[in-house]
Amino acid sequence: MPVLNAEVLGITALSLRIAVTATVAACAIGVPLGFWLGGTRFQGRRGVLVVLNTALAFPTVVIGLLLYLLLSRHGPLGGLGLLFTWRAIVVAEVILAAPIAAALTAAAVQSVDPRVRRTALTLGAGPLATAWAVAREARFALAAGVVVAFGRVFSEVGAAMIVGGNIRGETRTLTTAVALATSQGEFSLAIGLGLVLLALALTVNVLIQLLQGRDDA
Amino acid sequence: MLEARGLRHTYERRTVLSLERVTLAPGTRLALVGPNGSGKSTLLRLLAFLEAPEAGELTLRGLPVRSARERRAARHRVTLVEQRPYLFRGTVLANVAYPLRLRGTPRAAAEAAARGALERLQLGVLTGRQARSLSEGEVQRVAVARALAAQPDVLLLDEAVSAADRAAQHALFAAVAEEQGRRPLAVAFASHLLEEAYRWSNDLLALHQGVSVPVTPENLFRVELPGGGGMQPVAIGGITLDVVCDRSGPATLAIPPEEIVLSREPLHSSARNTLPGRVVRIAEQGAAVRVTLDTGVELVALVTRRSVEEMGIALGTRLFASFKTVAIRIF
Repeated sequence: MPVLNAEVLGITALSLRIAVTATVAACAIGVPLGFWLGGTRFQGRRGVLVVLNTALAFPTVVIGLLLYLLLSRHGPLGGLGLLFTWRAIVVAEVILAAPIAAALTAAAVQSVDPRVRRTALTLGAGPLATAWAVAREARFALAAGVVVAFGRVFSEVGAAMIVGGNIRGETRTLTTAVALATSQGEFSLAIGLGLVLLALALTVNVLIQLLQGRDDA
Repeated sequence: MLEARGLRHTYERRTVLSLERVTLAPGTRLALVGPNGSGKSTLLRLLAFLEAPEAGELTLRGLPVRSARERRAARHRVTLVEQRPYLFRGTVLANVAYPLRLRGTPRAAAEAAARGALERLQLGVLTGRQARSLSEGEVQRVAVARALAAQPDVLLLDEAVSAADRAAQHALFAAVAEEQGRRPLAVAFASHLLEEAYRWSNDLLALHQGVSVPVTPENLFRVELPGGGGMQPVAIGGITLDVVCDRSGPATLAIPPEEIVLSREPLHSSARNTLPGRVVRIAEQGAAVRVTLDTGVELVALVTRRSVEEMGIALGTRLFASFKTVAIRIF
C-alpha cells in the first residue's frame, strides 16, 4: 500500500504549512488579547469573555460559510482572490483558533498568583517586563493554549473544505483528503492519511512537552 | 527621602488609613506596629507606589509623585518585600539578579552583584538552588536579598522575617543595618512582634484602625509562659501575674498603662491582679498623668490629673495597682 507517495507527502507538507502559519497568526492575535483581558479590569470585560468563550464552540462550517460569502467573487472581499487558495484556509483557521488562544491565555494569566505582578512592579519592572514576568510564570498554561489552538487548526475539516475547495495539489489537506478518500470508498488510503495525521499531532505535542519540561526542576 | 502627607485610603468605603505624616529619611529604621488590620500593609503598599492613595501626597527625594508614570519611576527607588514574598521560577541567583537585569545591568555583572547580596545575608549556600525548593523562611530571606540587590533608596518590609528563625532574623536585620552604613537607605518594617520592633527600629509608628496612636513602651515584660492552657501564673521579677493564654515558652507581656487602676486600698473586684507598690515617678502626659509604681517591677499607670489630686498621689505614696487578667496582652 503506497501511502507515503509524493502526493501524500505534498498534502502533509501543505497541512503543516497551513497549520503552523494559522497557529502563529492566531497566537499573535490571541495571546496579546488574552493578556489584556486577563490582566486588566474594565467595564464589559465579562461580556467580552462570554463572547470569546462562545467563539470557542463556533461550528467550523458556519465560519467556513461566512468566509465563503465574504471571499466569493461577488462578496465584499472577493477582489482579494483568496477563495479556493491555501491562504483562505489559513484565514478561516485563524478566525477559529484566535479565540482559543485568547481565552486560554486570559485564563492562564488570571490563574497566575497576583503576587507575580506586584513583585515585578515593586522590583522596578515596566508594563512590558511585568507582562513578561507573568508570562514566564504562566508558561505551562500558555503552552497548553498554543497546543489546543494548533490542535483545532490541524484537525479542522469543515471550513477548510468550504473555503479551500479540496483542490488536488493546491488546497487538499490531510483532513479533507481523508474525508474525500472515505467518501470514495478508498478506505486504505483514508486510514493511511489518518495515521499520518495522528502521528503528526502526537509529534507536535511531544515536542511542546519537551520544550516545557526543559529548565524546570 | 520618602515622605507622605495627609494620606487617606479606603477599601469598600471603609477608611483603612488616615495618617497626617510619615517621613522616611536616610538611616531611618521605622517600625510599624499594630494588630492585624491596623493598616500596616496598606501603608506599605502606598509607600511602595503599588497603589495610589485616595488623598494625600507622596514625595520622593523632594519631588511629588502623582501620576502613574511618576509612580513607575518611583518604584525604581522604592521596593517592598511582602509578608509571603514571591520568588519567580528559576534559581535563587536568577531571582536576586532580576532587579538588576531590569535596570539593564549585563548578566555577568548582575549575577556577581546578586552573589554579593546573597553572601551579605549569609545565603550563599542557596545561590544555585531552585526557588521552588526553598522553605518559607528561606524564601523570605532571599526576597530581602533580592530587594537589596535592587539598590533601593527605601526598603519596605512587611513582616518580612516572620517565618525565619531567630538567628536568621538577626542576620537579616544586621545586614540591613550594615547596608544603611554603606549608603543612604531608609527602611520601614511592619511587625506584630513588639520586641522585634523595639530592638531594630530607631523610629516607631503604632497604628490602630488606620490611625497613628501613641506608643507606650512601658509595661513590657519578657516572660516564660509555663503552659498548661487557660489561666497561667507567670513570674515577672519578684511578682506573679495571672495570664490567660494557651501558649507556652518565651513571650512578651504588655500591660497597657490605661488599663491599670490605682487605689489606696486593695480592690475587691473582678480584676485578678492587685499589686501593692510605691510611687517612684510622676509625669505629665497632656491632660493625663503617668504614675510609675514600684511593685517589685515598675508599672506605669495612666490616670487623670483629677484622680492624682483627689487621691493625693505623690512620690512615695503607697498604692495598689489593679488590672484585669484579660487586659494583659501577649505577643
